[in-house]
Amino acid sequence: MILGYESGSGFLYRAHPFTVLTLVLATLVTVFALPALVGPLGVLVGIVLLAFIGGVSKVLPTASVLAAPFWFFLVVIHVILGDAPTRALVVGLQVSSMIVAFLIFLVVTHPGRLVDAMLARRLPAGAAYLLASALQTVPRLRARAAAIRDAQLVRGLRVQGVGGRVQGLLALGMPLVLGALHEVDERSLALASRGVQTGLHPTPLHPPSDSSLDRLARLLLYVFIVAAVAVRFLT
Amino acid sequence: MQNNRTSLTPRLLALIPLAVGINLAMGKIVAALAIPVFLDTVGTVLVAALVGTWPALITGLVSQVTFTVVDARIMWLFFLPVQLFVALYAGVAAQRAAFRSSVRAVAWGLGLGLVAATLAWPIALYVFGGVTAGGVTVVTTVLTGLGVPLGWSVFFASMSADLVDKAITFLLVLAVLRSLPLRMAARFPRAASALGRQ
Repeated sequence: MILGYESGSGFLYRAHPFTVLTLVLATLVTVFALPALVGPLGVLVGIVLLAFIGGVSKVLPTASVLAAPFWFFLVVIHVILGDAPTRALVVGLQVSSMIVAFLIFLVVTHPGRLVDAMLARRLPAGAAYLLASALQTVPRLRARAAAIRDAQLVRGLRVQGVGGRVQGLLALGMPLVLGALHEVDERSLALASRGVQTGLHPTPLHPPSDSSLDRLARLLLYVFIVAAVAVRFLT
Repeated sequence: MQNNRTSLTPRLLALIPLAVGINLAMGKIVAALAIPVFLDTVGTVLVAALVGTWPALITGLVSQVTFTVVDARIMWLFFLPVQLFVALYAGVAAQRAAFRSSVRAVAWGLGLGLVAATLAWPIALYVFGGVTAGGVTVVTTVLTGLGVPLGWSVFFASMSADLVDKAITFLLVLAVLRSLPLRMAARFPRAASALGRQ
């Protein structure tokens, strides 16, 4: 399963992060705005073709795995138990399109490059830091939660019955939360010593290039979004 | 009275990513205990109790974006309004000393569960056809199989999950607030008012 950045050489890798982000936005809006069934189907075909042309067809197996539970439950609820197969098909196509577009974004966009792009656009440094820091913190705290679980199980924690589970929640949750709060002092001192409150805007060392082709692609995507929304309201 | 609007100080820049990490890491603990809840707003409610509503709103926003990115599930982004409402509600709850006692914490948690489910079910129903591919969808499927109309199935499934989830979330935050070492509690003066000690 590919759930994050992987190096590659297709044109989507060279695109500015905001261009790929606009592609995701365009997918999100148009799958709902364009008329069913043709609209979501067309968007899915388009985004899959783009994945092939852009050298990121490796996202498609992962997208299939992520979309499979949706298709399964859609078929059970709307086709087997209900009588709305078209609804199941439309929602399935919409969800699949969004998954493929978002995976393309994740695979071709290095988080550091996205942060550099945000800084280069003079977006608040705090916002860029929060996103980057949260993305780095999550795997670490997840690993710590797993370590706490293992340690408590070794110490004899039993998680059977309602009482055992409530005790288990305290035994596992409290060290995780209090441990994280203990880090706040150290981190805030480090941030203060780096001058985050001076009001100065950091300059990225290697900001992603924003070519005229990128700007044209974004413009076309915005036009596509507006046109799709117009179609939605006019028909 | 403290100002509700808070600039992003180094302390907040340090606290918010950790709270986001707590929101996402609680999933590991829930899985280990096999409890049918998410506990994915513990960090958001905790920030509301420690430093107020605005930082909690930022925590909710960053959490939902991070959830979406880390798990590669863009569908979570559609539930952003629910996370933001949780932050707003938790901010109000903290101001009203919701963590004064276990009973109050459970009552406020149940209130949040009620409203969160009411906000979440139309998104699940109208955007995703009642399917979010999680444990809630299994409940929805069972209820639909029993002949309950789809809209009600989604509503009852969301409600059953959210009521328990948010009540436990508030209880866990209460336990954390009561366990804060004095030195740490002194750095978060709002925690005392959330506990009804001011």
